[in-house]
Amino acid sequence: MVDSPVRILIAEDDRISGLILEHHIKKWGYETCLVHDGEQAWNIILSQPPEMALFDWMMPGINGLELCRRLRQSTDSLEGEYIYIILLTARDERADIIQGLEAGADDYITKPFDLLELKARLNAGRRIVELHRLLKRQATYDFLTSLLNRRTIIEQAEKEYMRAKREKRPLGFMLIDIDDFKKINDTFGHLAGDKILAVVAERLQRNIRSYDKIGRYGGDEILVLLPNCSSQELALIANRLRLCVQEEPIAINHHSLTISISAGGLTADHNSSLSLHELIALCDQALYQAKKKGRNQTFIIESIVLAKGEA
Amino acid sequence: MNQNKEFSGQEIIDLPSVLERIGGDESFLRELIKIFLGEFDLKLRQLEKAAAEDDFRSIQEIGHNIKGSAANLSFLELQNVAYALETCGRLSDKFGCLENINKLKTARQKLLEQLKYFSWWKEE
Repeated sequence: MVDSPVRILIAEDDRISGLILEHHIKKWGYETCLVHDGEQAWNIILSQPPEMALFDWMMPGINGLELCRRLRQSTDSLEGEYIYIILLTARDERADIIQGLEAGADDYITKPFDLLELKARLNAGRRIVELHRLLKRQATYDFLTSLLNRRTIIEQAEKEYMRAKREKRPLGFMLIDIDDFKKINDTFGHLAGDKILAVVAERLQRNIRSYDKIGRYGGDEILVLLPNCSSQELALIANRLRLCVQEEPIAINHHSLTISISAGGLTADHNSSLSLHELIALCDQALYQAKKKGRNQTFIIESIVLAKGEA
Repeated sequence: MNQNKEFSGQEIIDLPSVLERIGGDESFLRELIKIFLGEFDLKLRQLEKAAAEDDFRSIQEIGHNIKGSAANLSFLELQNVAYALETCGRLSDKFGCLENINKLKTARQKLLEQLKYFSWWKEE
């Protein structure tokens, strides 16, 4: 996987100085966003948080020091994203440097700065950002399938469910598992089972809509969230996913295995008063119904009245 | 470096130093100077208004701002005059402010004359 360039926000009130900084920093392979005051910088931080920031200390309105403080106090609105901050300052007294670091800067560089020193300090920051990306990736994705892991898909489900209610749109849930997965593992071994799971996950991922979310719910169970999806659309997508898995055999230990899945789903409308837990439990029941139909089947709970006690 | 032999205005612009700062890119330098001059004219008008209103705080801030941009472009004379203006603003020295605003205009004119010696400045 090719990592995208590190995004840096440059806040420098002197336009010429800002342009010179941006010119070099771009040349060094970063993606930049240049603003000329603290207010604009703060808006960018809230709307498109960068991974690194270079703040001039002296700026009209919100200065660099205040930006550092605000940013470090806003971990909630940044959803745990860490922004590596370098403070750009003409102040080089020991007390100023301590003040800057205590306000939340990770590093500082004094003006007039040396280009090679700036480059080296940015590189030091980039190492931290790349490590942060790696940790975030490991904490978000399932190692075997590269789908979202269980914790993340459940978090996403909570968010999507709240959003669907807020925007008065339906939200589709689909639970999928591989037919006879235990038998596959027992016959061909767990390594073969892992490979099949990874291939199936990859096929499913390729065949969902770009804004759907897919995660490994546990074992060979995969949960898909489908925003703004009616029951009819859900049934069509479930069938498409079923077909995409079985259409091409998977080569395992010199065998060519045709693998199939079963899928159960439902669409929660925005009036639903069911909890997420209850919705997923219903999905599980739908999956059970699909299995009961004889595997390689889908089952969508139609027109369900998703009010408590009526499902 | 496309530098004419007649050029000797090192006290107006320290070209080697600014080119080093921006990685030797003359077309980028031309772009920066154009931005600087556009902003400079606006700031001159703001300075004249501030001087008429005895708004020394604004004079000090604008002087500081011009000093910073001029330093980045190695416009040495403009940088020195802007520094003097900033100081006069801080000291609420009206006569000094007016004198240095005039000196800024002269320094700007000298800079424009000097730039004509550079082939990269004439290229459009």
